[in-house]
Amino acid sequence: MPALIRILTMALIAGVFSAAILALSLKSTLPITEPQKVPFVGGGAPQTHAWQRYHVRFYSMTLLFISFEMEMMFMYPWAVVYVQEGIKAMVEMGMFLTILSIGILYGWREGVFKWQ
Amino acid sequence: MAMRWLSRLAAADAVPVFPVVGENGLAAAENLFLDPRLRPVPSPRHARVLLVLGETGQTLNRQLRRLHDQLSHPRATLWCDAVPDPDFGRATESSDTADAVVEAYRSMFAGAMDTEPDIHPNEPPNEWRGKGTNGQGGDGMMGGTPYGRPMAMTDDDLRDGLQLDAYSATFGPFLPAFPPGLALDITLQGDSIQAVSVSHPPFRQETDHSRTGSLRNLARLLRVLGVPALAARFIAAARKLEDGGTIDLDVLARAFDWSGAMHIIPSDLGSFGGEGRDVRSRVRAWLNIARGRQEPAPLGQPALSFVDLVKGLEWYEAVIVLNSFDNNALRNLCPVENTDDQTEEAPQ
Repeated sequence: MPALIRILTMALIAGVFSAAILALSLKSTLPITEPQKVPFVGGGAPQTHAWQRYHVRFYSMTLLFISFEMEMMFMYPWAVVYVQEGIKAMVEMGMFLTILSIGILYGWREGVFKWQ
Repeated sequence: MAMRWLSRLAAADAVPVFPVVGENGLAAAENLFLDPRLRPVPSPRHARVLLVLGETGQTLNRQLRRLHDQLSHPRATLWCDAVPDPDFGRATESSDTADAVVEAYRSMFAGAMDTEPDIHPNEPPNEWRGKGTNGQGGDGMMGGTPYGRPMAMTDDDLRDGLQLDAYSATFGPFLPAFPPGLALDITLQGDSIQAVSVSHPPFRQETDHSRTGSLRNLARLLRVLGVPALAARFIAAARKLEDGGTIDLDVLARAFDWSGAMHIIPSDLGSFGGEGRDVRSRVRAWLNIARGRQEPAPLGQPALSFVDLVKGLEWYEAVIVLNSFDNNALRNLCPVENTDDQTEEAPQ
């Protein structure tokens, strides 16, 4: 119970501070005018709307990065049971890493590590 | 009460200034920002004071007025070595510019000085126009002409021919990453420059090919490379030498090497007219001139045009290339292809 009271007290203090900061920011913020909404390009003017499609050229590298993040997630529980399971776990992880490595080699051949 | 306390706190801070540098105002601007009471900011939305240093000319008045309206409130404009626009700001003497900026800033926060009102009306430059009765439809990604600007249309990417949207805008003439006065009509796909033409050349500056001039050139490049503290050291060194003092330039050169600035610059970037004429070689030449190991030499007639140098580069590369020339060399490279009137066809 005392722990709960301490948590609630801290939450109350944080809430009061947050509300004060929010109130000050609302009071001091002036509305953004139409000239201020124009993108700043050094005094010049954009000829087309800024809403546009462009190619995220690093996406393939990003996907590869995420797959290896997932690989690490599998490795932690694997490390826990490795001693119990022995060679069987070793072979399974070997197969898993081999498949991932083929993916890397394929990505390498396709040029995903080349920054464009 | 809390607001008054916050206002006093803000007034005691370094003044966020957006500098607009005109003819022969660049060295003065650099010297001015050695004063710790002033802080140059990268966009007008960060600034409270617009400081015009040197004449910008009538042809760029419209761009300057647009910039003025983009400053946050409260705001003030000071004109130094330039004739003020009758609609905003006041003139100040070059001898006490820093004091005048600080005084204007503190007066605004103390309530003794009103903020400058907008010059343009607070309304969209155009209505949303489309083909449909409710403004919907048309060409482009979503159709219509939102607020007078057409939606981007697809175009071939120079790198691989992907059909993606091209963004066209006039960058400059008061963009901090560009040399003052330089305005370029650029079409971008992502961060890659697909097309470029010069709509306004850089302003004339007092070009100094001596050691101090090289130090200032290096400082300008360091600033765009993201090493502003070292850039300030180079400016301070140049100023000390100009005042007749002495300085150990080997220490500065070592600081330059250790900053890693040379490694940010891609090899063979901005090369023209043969081997050894890329950005890195120009930077090395400036360092050697500053240390007295090399005599300044004219750049010579480039084999490539400015457009050939910049087209196809990524944005950061183009900015580095632009800042790797001294003012005279860049002016020689920048033949104006568009008139100022043409660049102002777009809405505000």
